Amino acid sequence: MKIHPPRWADRFLEWYCNPALLEQIQGDAYELYSRQVKENKRKADLLFIWNVIRFFRLKNIRKSKSTYSSQYAFMFKSYLLTALRSSIRNRTTTLINMLGLSLGVGIAITVFLFMDFMFHIDGFHINRDRIYQIVSHVQHDKETDLWGDSPFLLGPALQAGYPSIERTARVEMNSGAVRRNDVVFNEAIWFVDPDFLRMFSFPVVKGNPDALDHKGSLVLTAPIAEKYFGTTDPIGQVVSIKFSNGTKEEFTVGAVIQRPENSGMYPTMLLAMEILEDLKFQANYDWSHLTDATFVMFKPGHPYSEIESGLGKYKMLQNRSSPDWLIGYFEFIPLPMLAQRSYEIHHAISIASHPSGVWSLGAIAVMLLLLACFNYMNVSVATVATRLKEIGIRKVIGSRKKEIIQQFLTENFVLCFFALVLGGLISYLLFLPGFNTLYPFTVPFSFHSGNTTFLVFAGLLIFVGLVSGAYPSLYVSSFQPIRILRGREKFGQRGLFSRILLAGQFILAFTTIVGSFVFIDNSLYQKYKDWGYDHSQNIVVPVAGKQQFLALRDKAAGQATIEQVSGSVNHIGYQNTNVFFDHLQERFQTIAYQVGFGYPETMNLRLKSGRFFDKGVQSDYRESVLVNEAFVKKMGWVEPLNQSFEYDSVRRYVIGVIRDFHYDGFYEPIGPVMMAIGNEDNFRYLSIRVTKGRLGDAETFLKGAWKEIAPDDPYEGILQDHVFEIFQRDNNANVKLLSFISSMAVALACLGLFGLVPYNITRRLKEFSIRKVFGASLPQILRLMNRDYVWILVASFVIGAPSGFILFNSLIKHIYPDPQATRALPFLVAIGLMMTTVVITIGSQLKRVANENPGTTLKSE
Amino acid sequence: MKGTHLGELEELILLTVGVLYKEAYGVAVMEEVEKQTGRKLNISAVHSVLTRLEEKGFVKSEMGGSTEERGGRRKRIFNLTAAGRKSLDKINAIRSQLYNQIPKVALNFSYA
Repeated sequence: MKIHPPRWADRFLEWYCNPALLEQIQGDAYELYSRQVKENKRKADLLFIWNVIRFFRLKNIRKSKSTYSSQYAFMFKSYLLTALRSSIRNRTTTLINMLGLSLGVGIAITVFLFMDFMFHIDGFHINRDRIYQIVSHVQHDKETDLWGDSPFLLGPALQAGYPSIERTARVEMNSGAVRRNDVVFNEAIWFVDPDFLRMFSFPVVKGNPDALDHKGSLVLTAPIAEKYFGTTDPIGQVVSIKFSNGTKEEFTVGAVIQRPENSGMYPTMLLAMEILEDLKFQANYDWSHLTDATFVMFKPGHPYSEIESGLGKYKMLQNRSSPDWLIGYFEFIPLPMLAQRSYEIHHAISIASHPSGVWSLGAIAVMLLLLACFNYMNVSVATVATRLKEIGIRKVIGSRKKEIIQQFLTENFVLCFFALVLGGLISYLLFLPGFNTLYPFTVPFSFHSGNTTFLVFAGLLIFVGLVSGAYPSLYVSSFQPIRILRGREKFGQRGLFSRILLAGQFILAFTTIVGSFVFIDNSLYQKYKDWGYDHSQNIVVPVAGKQQFLALRDKAAGQATIEQVSGSVNHIGYQNTNVFFDHLQERFQTIAYQVGFGYPETMNLRLKSGRFFDKGVQSDYRESVLVNEAFVKKMGWVEPLNQSFEYDSVRRYVIGVIRDFHYDGFYEPIGPVMMAIGNEDNFRYLSIRVTKGRLGDAETFLKGAWKEIAPDDPYEGILQDHVFEIFQRDNNANVKLLSFISSMAVALACLGLFGLVPYNITRRLKEFSIRKVFGASLPQILRLMNRDYVWILVASFVIGAPSGFILFNSLIKHIYPDPQATRALPFLVAIGLMMTTVVITIGSQLKRVANENPGTTLKSE
Repeated sequence: MKGTHLGELEELILLTVGVLYKEAYGVAVMEEVEKQTGRKLNISAVHSVLTRLEEKGFVKSEMGGSTEERGGRRKRIFNLTAAGRKSLDKINAIRSQLYNQIPKVALNFSYA
C-alpha cells in the first residue's frame, strides 16, 4: 500500500521534526492517515495536515546542529550584563555615543519621512494608476516647452471618441470675489467637469459628492468653509460670487471636501464647468482656447498607448485654430508622476519639490548618518582599552573569535536599538515639527505604507549596527590573549586605521559643512540680489475695470505720500504674459507688458539706451516698444534702437532698451521682455511709487479710498516687495535648514572628538607627566595634544571641502540660472569653524592634564 | 514530589499503557483511550504525554515492528516501569482510602 498524504505537509514535518523522533511521529501520522483514507481522502488529508501542525511543538522541533543556540541564549544574558556594566563605567562615552547616533538617526528618519512624503504626492487617489494628465509639448524658437495646458475641447472629444476612457475631467482656473453677508474675499475658483470629484479621491467631509452635477452648487475645501461659515453647517448656505467679467451669481454650498496634506493639487472652490461656458469670459470656446488641465481615467486594463496614436487629429484641429501656439504633440503623464515632474511643466497643476532637491537632502542625511556611525566606531575602538582584560580572560577560558565578535555585535545592536528608539523620538518631538515650520506643507510622522516603515527602521538598525559595530568587534576579537594579559597590547590609538576613520569623519563633516555654506552663500546672494529695479517703495493694486482704475488713480495722484502712479494691463511679477511673434521666418517668444505712460518710471526700471514712452509723441501710442537686454540678445541686434519687427499685425519700432530685471522669481533665467502702450480701458493694475518711508501711510490711504470706490470688492493691494514671497520663503527655509544641517555636522564631528580625546590623553598621561617634570609649559603640552588632530583636520579639509563644493555647486547650477560666483568665504568659514571647535574640544581636556600631579601618575607602577 | 506528580491525562495514559502491555504505541494508546473512556485525543497530545512520562521514569520504550500501514516506519512501544507501576498502585490506594472514608450518609442520595 502506498501512502500519499499531502506532500508539502509531509515535507514540512520532515523539515522541522527532530530526527530522533521523526520515525515514530511520522509512522503514527501515516497510520492514522491510511486508516482514514479508506473512508474519505479529503478528510484524511485535512486530518494529516492538522496532525502535522499539532506535532509542531517545541519538544519535537529539530535542534540546531550544535547545542549552540541554547548556549547563545544563555550567553546573551551575560553579554548584556557586561555591556551594561561597561557602559555604566564609561558613562560619558556611552552618553556621547548614544547621543551622536541618535542625532544621526533622528535626522535620517526625518529626511526619509520627508522623501517618502514627497515621492507619494497624490498617492491618496484610489484610481491614481489609471489617471493621466494630457500635457502639451509646444514648439517655439526651435525648441519645445512642456505646458500643463491643453485644448478646452480635447477632453469631451476623447470621452466621446474612445470607449476605453472611463472618465474625463477638465480644470479651468479662475477667480472671483466671494461674498457672504459682510465677508468678501477674492478666491481662486476652479471650474471642473462633474467627474472631477468622482475621478479623484478628495475625501468628502460633508454633503453630496455628486454636488457638481447641479449647476447652482458650489464645493468648498474645509478651511475655506471655515473661513466663511465658522462653525455653522455650510451645506445649503448661499454665497454670491462676482466674477472677473462683472457678472454676479449666487451658489449653494453642496459639499465640503478635504485637501489631504499629500495632495499636489490645491483646490479651494469648485464650480461646474457649465457655468464657465454660460459666463462667456470669451466669445466662444473653440479649439483655440486652452484649459489649465485635462485629466483622463482609463477603464482597468486599458493602457493610454491605445489611444495615443489617434491624438494627431486633435492636434491638427488645435494647430489650425491658433497658429501662434503650435502644439507639437500631447503626452500622457500618469498621476503619480505628475508632481514629480512639476518642475519641468509650465502651469503645472500638481506641485512637489524639485526631485534633485529631495535627493540631495537624502544624500545629506546619509552622510550625517555615516558621520555618526564613524564617530561611534572610533569611540568604540578607543574604549576597548578599558575592557582588554575582559577580552583576554574570555579568550583564555575558551571563547572563540567568532564568539567575541558576536558579543560585541550584540552589544552594538542593543545600543543601536536604543539609539534608534531615541532617534525616532528626537525626530518625532523635535526635528520633524521643526522641519514642518519651515515649509508650507506638513509632513506627518508616518510612512506611506507599513512595509516602508518596517524597511526604513529595520534597514537603519542593520545599517547602523553593522557599519558602526563591524570594525570594533573585528578589531577587538583579534587580540592575542597572552599579550593582553602580560600587559603588552597597546590599543591602537596611533593605528593607521583609527586615523583614517577620524579623517573619514572629518571629511564627511567638511563635505557637509562646505556644501551647506556654499548653498547658504548662494541663497543669501539670491535673497539680497538686485532685482533690476527698485521695488522697495512700490505698491500695486489690482482693479476690476476702467471705472475703478480711473477713480483710484485720480484719488491717489493728489496724495503727498505718493510720488507717481501708472496703470497697466498686466504687471511685472504679478502677471507676465507670454506671446509669440514671427520675425524673418523665425518664431520668437517674449513676455509682453501693455502699460500706461509713466509705467517704466513708476516701476523704477533702468534705461540702458534710447528713451521711455513720451505722451507727446504720437507714434508712441501704437508703434513704439521698449525691450530688455535679453530681447536684444535674442534678436541678435548690434544697434537695437530703431530696429523693427511685426507683432499683433503692427510694425513695432524699438525706442529704448531697458536693463534686464527679474519678473518671475530666480529659478528661471531672464528672458526677452517688451513693453508697449496699452488701452486704458483694459487696465487691471494700478502701480504706485510711494515717497520714501511713507509706505504704511500710503497703504492706509489706499485702503480707505478703496472702500469708497469699490465697497463690494476686497482690497488686494500688495507691496511689490512681496511679489516673490514664495521664492523668498523657500529661500529662507533653505538657509535655515542648511544652517541646521551644518551645525549638526559640526556637532557630530566634535562629539566624536570629545569622546576620543580623553582616551588619548589617558594613554599619554605618563608622557605628559614626564614632560611636566622636565619643565614643559602648558601651551607646549596643548600644542602636543593638538598636533595629531590638526594634521588630520587639514588633510580632511583638502579632500572634503572640494567634494562638498563640487556636489552642491552642481546642485545650485541645476536650480539657479544665476548662482553666486565661487568665492573663498564659505571655505574660510568652514575651516575656521571646525578648527575652533576642535581646539576648544581638545582644550577642554587640558585642565585635566594641568591639574594632574606628575607624582601620582608616575608613582602608579 | 515535584517532577513525579501525575496529571489526570498522564494517569489515564499511564493506565492505558499498562492495559495494552507490549502493544502500547501512540496510535494504539489514543484509540484505547477513546474506546475505554470516549475521550478523543489528538495524536500529538498522546505523544507529548508519553514523552513526559518517559522523562519522569514511569515508562520505558523501545522501537518495535513496522507495518505497511505506517509506510515502513517502526513503532515506539512503551512499557510500564517499576516506578510507573508503583505510582499507579499508590494513586489507586489513595483513591480507595479516600473513597472509603466518605461517610455512608453522604452517599445516600435518597435523603436529598
